[in-house]
Amino acid sequence: MAAIKSKNKRLGRANTPNPLQSLTAAALLLPGVMLGVAQAADEDEFTFQYGRYEESHRNLGDVKSQFDPISVDSLQAGSKISLTDRVKFAFNYVQDTWSGATPISTSPIAHPASSNRQGNRALKINNTIVAGASPYVQTALPVYFDKQFNPVRIINDTGTDADGNQVVEYSQANELAHTMALASPETRKEGNFKLGYEWDEAAVDVGGGISIEKDYESRFGNIGGRLDFNQKLTSLTGGVSYTNSDTSARFDHDVLSVPGVYGTYIDTSHYTNYIEKTSDGNGYMMTGNRQDWAANLGLTQVLYKDALVKFGAGYTRSTGYMANPYKAVTVFFIDPNEFNDENADYNGYVNQPYTGQIQPFLEQRPNVRDQWNFSTGYVQYINPLDAALHVDYRFFHDDWGIDAHTFEADWVQPMGSGWTVTPRLRYYTQDAADFYTPYIISKQAKRGVKTDADGNPEFDADGNVIEIPYDASKLPAHFSSDHRLSGYGALSGGLVLTKQFAKGLTLEAGFEYYNHKGSFKLGSGGESDYADFSYYTANAALKVNLESVGRAMSGGEHDHHAMHHNHGAPLPAGVMFGHVMTTPGDIMVGYRYMYSRQDGRMLHENELAADQDIVSKGCNLEPGLTCRTSPAFMNMHMHMLDIMYAPTSWLNLMVMPQFMDMDMNMRSLGGVTPNVNRDHLHGGHETGGVGDTGLYAMFKLYQGAGHDVNMGVGVTAPTGAVDIKLRRMHTKDEGYIHYGMQLGSGTWDFKPSITYTGKVDDWSWGAQVNGTKRLENRNQAGFAFGDQLQSTAWGSYSLFNWLSASVRGIYTVQGAVKHQFNAVIGDTSEGDPIMGDVNPKEGSMDNPKNYGGRYWDVGFGLNATIPSGSLAGNTFSVEWLQPVEDDVNGYQLERDGTLNATWSYGF
Amino acid sequence: MSTEFFRDQAMKLLLIILPLAVSFTGCAVAPWERGNLAKPQMALDPHPLQTELSGHSHGSREAAGAGGSASGGGCGCY
Repeated sequence: MAAIKSKNKRLGRANTPNPLQSLTAAALLLPGVMLGVAQAADEDEFTFQYGRYEESHRNLGDVKSQFDPISVDSLQAGSKISLTDRVKFAFNYVQDTWSGATPISTSPIAHPASSNRQGNRALKINNTIVAGASPYVQTALPVYFDKQFNPVRIINDTGTDADGNQVVEYSQANELAHTMALASPETRKEGNFKLGYEWDEAAVDVGGGISIEKDYESRFGNIGGRLDFNQKLTSLTGGVSYTNSDTSARFDHDVLSVPGVYGTYIDTSHYTNYIEKTSDGNGYMMTGNRQDWAANLGLTQVLYKDALVKFGAGYTRSTGYMANPYKAVTVFFIDPNEFNDENADYNGYVNQPYTGQIQPFLEQRPNVRDQWNFSTGYVQYINPLDAALHVDYRFFHDDWGIDAHTFEADWVQPMGSGWTVTPRLRYYTQDAADFYTPYIISKQAKRGVKTDADGNPEFDADGNVIEIPYDASKLPAHFSSDHRLSGYGALSGGLVLTKQFAKGLTLEAGFEYYNHKGSFKLGSGGESDYADFSYYTANAALKVNLESVGRAMSGGEHDHHAMHHNHGAPLPAGVMFGHVMTTPGDIMVGYRYMYSRQDGRMLHENELAADQDIVSKGCNLEPGLTCRTSPAFMNMHMHMLDIMYAPTSWLNLMVMPQFMDMDMNMRSLGGVTPNVNRDHLHGGHETGGVGDTGLYAMFKLYQGAGHDVNMGVGVTAPTGAVDIKLRRMHTKDEGYIHYGMQLGSGTWDFKPSITYTGKVDDWSWGAQVNGTKRLENRNQAGFAFGDQLQSTAWGSYSLFNWLSASVRGIYTVQGAVKHQFNAVIGDTSEGDPIMGDVNPKEGSMDNPKNYGGRYWDVGFGLNATIPSGSLAGNTFSVEWLQPVEDDVNGYQLERDGTLNATWSYGF
Repeated sequence: MSTEFFRDQAMKLLLIILPLAVSFTGCAVAPWERGNLAKPQMALDPHPLQTELSGHSHGSREAAGAGGSASGGGCGCY
């Protein structure tokens, strides 16, 4: 493969016969070298990608949602490696973190109480909207309907006619709007792999993986194959896959019922057998299992030297719980008494509209879905421009009533000097599912009166009428208001830009804008414009071709290269800024992962803290405040990309973007009666996304025989969010999530370091002092983390020429958080709005004084460098940091330890 | 799900694909004419990373998301 590529590169745009062409042909004839048409380029590579998805605000009529729309940060890192010439292994890690507002239900905009319209309640004080806008899918206030069951808006119900009867005037109001609900940050993590074996004209592979989020876990496996024939001009592919997914979605405890308010908030009775108590006993969750079996077949055919065509067909059968546990359907109950009695208008009014009483239900989807896919594509080489046109069409059909068509066109245009520009255009259109409905009208009373055979009301022993609730079995069997099942079209377009550097490094950036509109649907019947929205995605990727670099350096040069990277002493995985590249033009790409966990006991300074002391002294941010909760555990994961470049022999420049994700849970402190409304005891918090970005310069201060001294100076830019808030819950607003759960420092930070390394024979050692000085007094959220100083020293011994082990000591001092979160004004009560600062203050981690401290750790590490072969120059290291002694500021959770793992590759 | 049903569906797919495969066996492109076909822009998927990311976005927003091969992807409940 490398041979083909490099030959092509040299051929460039030459269209006339050329001596090299015969060489190319010769190379192509070699068995195992000629690439089949359906064979993906399978060079050994490492890829890293970051993507951002951001949705537009939804159209809510004249009410403006104060929630941010959904946004997603995605991170993907993967590698493809040849274990032998014929055995290929690929693995990927994917992580998405999302948060923001998303539709939970739909209802007519004609709701009479304007402050409750669409359920997005705005809180008012002195007629000024100050905060809030919460999901409010149900109220006791009715929606009115005309005789044709269209929603109406009452204009005037105080007039009278000539006979003195009261007259109701109303106008049609068919407009709909979503009710938005806010999702707290949540992270999904997926790992998957593929193991393949290749023959000259065939391949098989097996793969599998797991995807985990707090409320959904999915495990999958697949097996596939490829057969080339007709001198590799024709390829057949096929595969079968199986996915098994479990839902365990925790309900807000006030979703199931609101005491003292109008009945059940969302009717979940259909799912009684699926709703279980959560393991912590504080709430309920929806449980469900889903299985997907899929099979697909594909055919790729070269038509002539400049074009190929492909066909595909696929079938998927899904069974089990396929509904979305966070989507509700609004049902309006209209008492038949209102329209059965045609002679008289109701209650003595003339032209009285029907009264629709609201009751939202969790959506109900069928538990079987058969899906078929048919696709075709065409790829044409455009000779004069050296470009390629890709055109694709896909037809989708399922037994839920959805037919969908996708048209896609890409123009891949190489621009010279390694640049490629690809404009892309896509159109998608789908029919609505049979059971899709914005809302349901049920012609029965929400609360009816029990009647006897003659239609007269029945009374109980006390003489009160006997009420009977609605009969849910009279509703349709399946219903959903999820706009993904509505009829609509979507037009999207974007651009991909790639730049390939000579050394096998490729950078890629992409952008896509996506516009979903009911009116874009092919044919008629698209959903009206309240459901329209748009989003954009932007992403950046880095690809390192391990194979081409490895091969390019085979021979003497290669050995030199490997030596060059080994000559510096191996560094423990947790040490950064310890190595300066001395060959001008060298590039190093690295990936760092850090996991640290706090768990177990609470400490006060260097002793165990008693719960009573935490309660009385841990939250003393304001006089009289006591603690109610403390953290039960906290996990932090950091993924860091490390790109280093040597413009001269004494200076290296580094860029280090970071991606964070964190989760924690709380516990009630001893002696405090837990209160789910007040204490966030609802299954933990998660945050994640882009962290701060480091920019560094490293200088070689001294290089002697076996001794090196380096200095690093740099800053971290505050690219990580520090304004993440908890979502409104239990009809109370919430403020900023804990300091330690924010993704960055929010301040520009100065980060100097000085490192000494030494090496004699198999022994090496080193020491480093590094610091973090906050360059600003407070960030946009109002606080600043404390400054930090760290000293470390280590020794390392080479066990083999490729493996060494290290031991390290670390002492860290960090200051407490300075200042505190800016006040967030919101509704602090569960009832009538009482405005005040809603920042959480009753957890020990909400007190800025409970941050920082003095820490001793010991690190044990392993460091492996691949000395030869196609993966030469790859270094892997791991290090476990074991806390030895903590002396914390205030009251804090004990540390469990930190794992550092790094991969780096120089070329 | 019955395996028979599944086998029937698989047979249908084969019946569509195989005749196409047979009909193309007459095509011929000599190895030394395959330079253009081997160019990266002619790859079946020239931008696999982009495809993965945009496919994930489309899949979480469209009913026809399941592209025929199941591969995790999460709930997409947002």
